[in-house]
Amino acid sequence: MAYRLGVDVGGTFTDLFLVSDIDGRQWRVKTPSTPVNPSQGVLTGVQQICERAEIGVGDIQNILHGTTVATNAVLEEKGARVGLITTEGFKQILHLARSQTPGPLAGWVIMIKPDPPALLSDTREAVERMDARGNTVVEVDEQQVEGVVRDLVESGVESLTVGLINSYVNPKHEETIGEIVERLYPGFPVTLSAHVLPEFREYERTLTACMNSYVRPRVADYITQLQSELKHVGATADVNILRSDAGLMTLREAERNPIYGVLSGPSGGVAGGLFVARNAGFPNILTFDMGGTSTDVALCENGEPTIGRETTIGQFRIKVPSVSVHTVGAGGGSIAHVPELTRALRVGPQSAGAEPGPAAYGQGGEEPTVTDANVVLGHLPPRLLGGEMELDVEAAHTAVAKIGDAMGLSVEEAAEGILSIVNENMAGALRVVSVQRGHDPRDFALVAYGGAGPLHANALAKLMGSFPVIVPPAPGLLCAIGDLVADFRDEFAQTYIRVLAEADPGEVGSILDTLGERADGWLSNEGIEADKRRISFVADMRYHRQGYEIPVSITPDEVREHGLDELDERFNVLHEQLYGFRMPDTASEIVNLRSVGFGTVPSLELPTGEEGESDASAAVVEEHEILFEGSRVPTKIYDRNRLEPGGRIPGAAIITEFDSTTVILPGYDGVVDVNYNIVINETR
Amino acid sequence: MATIEKPRIAEIPDADVDPVTVDIIEGALKSARYEMDAVLFRSAMSPVIREQHDEFPMITDPHGRMVVGQFGAYINEMMEEWDSGIYPGDVILTSDPFKCSASISHTNDWLVLVPIFYEDELIGWSSQFGHQMDCGGPLPGSLPTAATTIFEEGIIIPPLKIVERGEVQQPVLDLILNNMRLPEVNRADLFAIIAGCRAGEKRVMELCDRFGKNVYLATLQKLLDRTYEAMKVLIHAAIPEQPETFEDYIDDDGLGNGPFKMKLTIWREGDHAFFDWSGTDPQSLGPINFYLSEGMFKMFIGVYLIMVNDPQILFNDGFYPLLHVVMPEGSMLRPRFPAALGCRTHALARLFDVLGGALTKQAPELNTASGYGTSPYMLYSGWDENGEFFYSMEILYGGIPGRPVGDGMDGHSWWPLFENIPTEYLESYYPLRIDGYTTVTDSGGPGFHRGGNGVEKRYVYLEPGQVSVHDDRWLTRPWAALGGLPGGRSSKLLVRADGTEEILPSKIDQVEVQPGDMLIHRTAGGGGWKDRLDRPVEVVERDVSFGLVSREFAKEGYGVVLNDDGTADLEATERERERQREKRGPVQPFDFGPPLEEVLANCRSETGLEPPVPATPLRWSPLEPGDMALERVRAGDGIPAPE
Repeated sequence: MAYRLGVDVGGTFTDLFLVSDIDGRQWRVKTPSTPVNPSQGVLTGVQQICERAEIGVGDIQNILHGTTVATNAVLEEKGARVGLITTEGFKQILHLARSQTPGPLAGWVIMIKPDPPALLSDTREAVERMDARGNTVVEVDEQQVEGVVRDLVESGVESLTVGLINSYVNPKHEETIGEIVERLYPGFPVTLSAHVLPEFREYERTLTACMNSYVRPRVADYITQLQSELKHVGATADVNILRSDAGLMTLREAERNPIYGVLSGPSGGVAGGLFVARNAGFPNILTFDMGGTSTDVALCENGEPTIGRETTIGQFRIKVPSVSVHTVGAGGGSIAHVPELTRALRVGPQSAGAEPGPAAYGQGGEEPTVTDANVVLGHLPPRLLGGEMELDVEAAHTAVAKIGDAMGLSVEEAAEGILSIVNENMAGALRVVSVQRGHDPRDFALVAYGGAGPLHANALAKLMGSFPVIVPPAPGLLCAIGDLVADFRDEFAQTYIRVLAEADPGEVGSILDTLGERADGWLSNEGIEADKRRISFVADMRYHRQGYEIPVSITPDEVREHGLDELDERFNVLHEQLYGFRMPDTASEIVNLRSVGFGTVPSLELPTGEEGESDASAAVVEEHEILFEGSRVPTKIYDRNRLEPGGRIPGAAIITEFDSTTVILPGYDGVVDVNYNIVINETR
Repeated sequence: MATIEKPRIAEIPDADVDPVTVDIIEGALKSARYEMDAVLFRSAMSPVIREQHDEFPMITDPHGRMVVGQFGAYINEMMEEWDSGIYPGDVILTSDPFKCSASISHTNDWLVLVPIFYEDELIGWSSQFGHQMDCGGPLPGSLPTAATTIFEEGIIIPPLKIVERGEVQQPVLDLILNNMRLPEVNRADLFAIIAGCRAGEKRVMELCDRFGKNVYLATLQKLLDRTYEAMKVLIHAAIPEQPETFEDYIDDDGLGNGPFKMKLTIWREGDHAFFDWSGTDPQSLGPINFYLSEGMFKMFIGVYLIMVNDPQILFNDGFYPLLHVVMPEGSMLRPRFPAALGCRTHALARLFDVLGGALTKQAPELNTASGYGTSPYMLYSGWDENGEFFYSMEILYGGIPGRPVGDGMDGHSWWPLFENIPTEYLESYYPLRIDGYTTVTDSGGPGFHRGGNGVEKRYVYLEPGQVSVHDDRWLTRPWAALGGLPGGRSSKLLVRADGTEEILPSKIDQVEVQPGDMLIHRTAGGGGWKDRLDRPVEVVERDVSFGLVSREFAKEGYGVVLNDDGTADLEATERERERQREKRGPVQPFDFGPPLEEVLANCRSETGLEPPVPATPLRWSPLEPGDMALERVRAGDGIPAPE
């Protein structure tokens, strides 16, 4: 009876992956996504996969789900109308933001400031004040607040946020206002900033809370719809949503704090890529997800993703724990252009998008894109195996020739130039997540997915020195695998700003205990059995008054037994590793204490084949001369579905499958491993 | 004595580089420059660098020409005087504007230089400077508003090696830090700046590994050439052949002298553009002089032209030979040693106002009005109840001018990347409470695109201490362009715990405060851009519903008459607009508000403060006549006067 289903809703396809925990059997389904009502596509997929597995929908025990409903609400600016209540004197908190204008000098001349998630006309002040130590300076004026709440709700806001100064130290005033809302309008969605993000810096906390309110009604609608439709077809499964930090949360939590899932989609890809790579024996990886308009990269070390404290969505920095995914505007649809003034070759960030798309798609696009450059060079074969689409090679040539003309290059040289530039842009993104954070990219394997990732991965790995390249089968599936292998995860934090010398180890220990108990209580509420629970502890630390914190691992017992010296040393070592220096004479301080609760889920066996012979020529479908770095190289084209474990593919080679194409450069070769990954290394 | 070795400076080969490689190296250098910032922000300690981002990085070619960055060449001139050798692992530090051709303009800026060696040759420099919160001297912050020489502005570090071949020069560092109020902050910020430079150095060496030294160096020349060619086009488009002049004022020098005029004349001769500051007032006794490096000013011009015309261009020194800057010796922009320089942000901002104003005449549709016009500060220091010294310093912002792309932002920074300090940060580390942080309704100058509102921050002090404020535009107004109105002026009001009120001047130090006293710090707004009577009615409605513009001002400033429900009475609005149009007459290119004589005459009644008095020229620094300054520049740059 134990079936688990991973569901990833992407922009084009909804991917489903079903496993039986009894005998390990697995089924996959891919159906078109239904963007207007995404639950439709999910439902279709669920029914299809159950038919294929010959089980009832009711047999599925868990549905693990990555969704972009929250992301899209932000990106498409289609969230709720949000009301905001601030401390008196701070009504313009979101309007003033951090007062920042972009660089370089005179950047303000062209800055376009986005509307914040709560408009000034929907913002009111509450009479109350808390000081920085958590003492009440002015009590909440309940009568005044009632007026403000009535005013906002009656004016038509759909969701409320309370964001008060110093609520991170003591959330009492926010809670009082939350109770007033509940009393006046029972069930009305209200987000308290200290509950979403109990950390200091009022702008970031208020913004994050308002973003939560902004996406909340849409996510709630989606969840309600999904639940009722699933129920309608007889599903009784627990549904869990993938968080931005690649942990799972319950639907109830997703309804209350949907902002935690704002990067649900990309985090599923990272989790899936990491799982596949770990299985292949590579616990240190860079993930490389290249799509049509943008590329997401992330770094995972020792089998764990890097979890950051903030993420950027649209034009806003949101402080929620997230897989540290770095995004650049470089994708298959990125447009190449040559500005008249400098005659330099630029690629992106403008994109041809889905409409009209690259010239080669033959839908009226005329601008030269990265995809067109790949077509010109033959890296993308004109007929994609298994795909319905025929590529318009001539249109691609015409488009790329525009670049050649502007720069005095042949069309092939222009195409190679476009690829070099876009690869360099993406390498810049990989540098941000690796070298800029103190990691050597040569210690990492590169896991490539997304429609265009495997096309560029070998070239990118060459730039970064990151080998092997691992190309898992069926890139869309990877996210569904990520959903399926995610652990339950939640964080519990308390701001505790103390210089170490003034911190009492006993107090630190007991705060950690309390945070640990909260994590444990939450896991038990989620129905995670005791032996599946794991709790880790972190102190966010910095040198006294420094602006950014570094997470340092810690345990309550260690603190009680050995005091805080060990913590101090660990922080100093990390600081040196990240920034190249330490400050022995400067006190270090704790800013936040956190517990992270994990509930592990049953593991997953990836599809495994028998290792066969190394000759893969049976999978060759064609052979062409293709341009690599200026010279024509005989290149075999392989059908990925015919490749068997053990098969060796010497570069130059091109491997096609339903929704992606892999390029192996001359001087490299690929080997199919037992899990059907293509593993690319330099030819020895 | 060991002989001093001159480093072998790498030759830039005259080699062809394929255009794509040039673009790749360009991109990699851009990333390196942002990495330098990132390293510094994350490890610096003072909020001025860390939260407010008051710092500047650059990477140069072997000859010290900036290839990527934000401040421009000075290394060559500095190296001419240098006699201590340059070796791998060296780090040079200076805070003396008079000894680095004014690359830094006051002693708070600590400039760090790291030579980049590759195969035993000097292939460039990685450099960065950051604003130190304090660098000694009589007052915390080292920016006394009443300073009359640079010696009152903290320790002056001449160019010296703080790290020699990898070894920190401890006695030198100790000597410097011994003069600081918060030595651990200075130490942290210094090492953070060094770490930032090291990041730049590392990336450059990697580029040489990857492409070969010669390709890397040849590419630098290509990048410089590329900017040179692009700037030629921009100069032709933006700079008129006929001289254009623009002038504006700094209100006072902190000692009761003023206003001080800044005057710029621009013209073009072929591909070459002249920027002549003759007519600018002599240097001030007070610390508002802005000792401006030529390279820095060329960079300002270049960035400004690029930003208003084509923001894609990589900014570097390549176009410097096309620009010729005339700054008479002894003027506010070229003061003689030992002029006080601490509070130069007023002149820095005014310089952009004047530059923008002069350029507006050639391309009115591309340029903007003027903004809050300075970097307003609030400093607060004292000893808390435990006898511990505290010192906080904050830069405030104000109204951004109305612009071609839209309204000026309310309460934003005109300097890039600066950020405000969170209230929760201030309250958790310093004995003060913020009673409110908002913008000043109606302070944005009306326009088709409105100027931004100034900021109002209300500080309640919780411990006895001393407060300083620095601001400007309390007397003259941020001007408007093409039919807008000027922005509102700044003001400072101290409300004592017992309710008595004191108006403070815009530049003052050592104001004693007691627990419960409140400072209401209001900065200026931005001027409006284009005809205020054409602003769409619904946008004015929205401003009023947002509380950014009052109902009364909607009528007075925009001619929009509102009904009780906040919607516009369209008929009454049309009548009102017609009435105001008639009264006003044709639209003027600029609106500075009332003439200066009238502003001075009404100063006391309007601001509650005494008007400044004209400054007495300093006997020890006579002003170089404008025509001699121009001749000097023509001779030096090799551009003779046209027949």
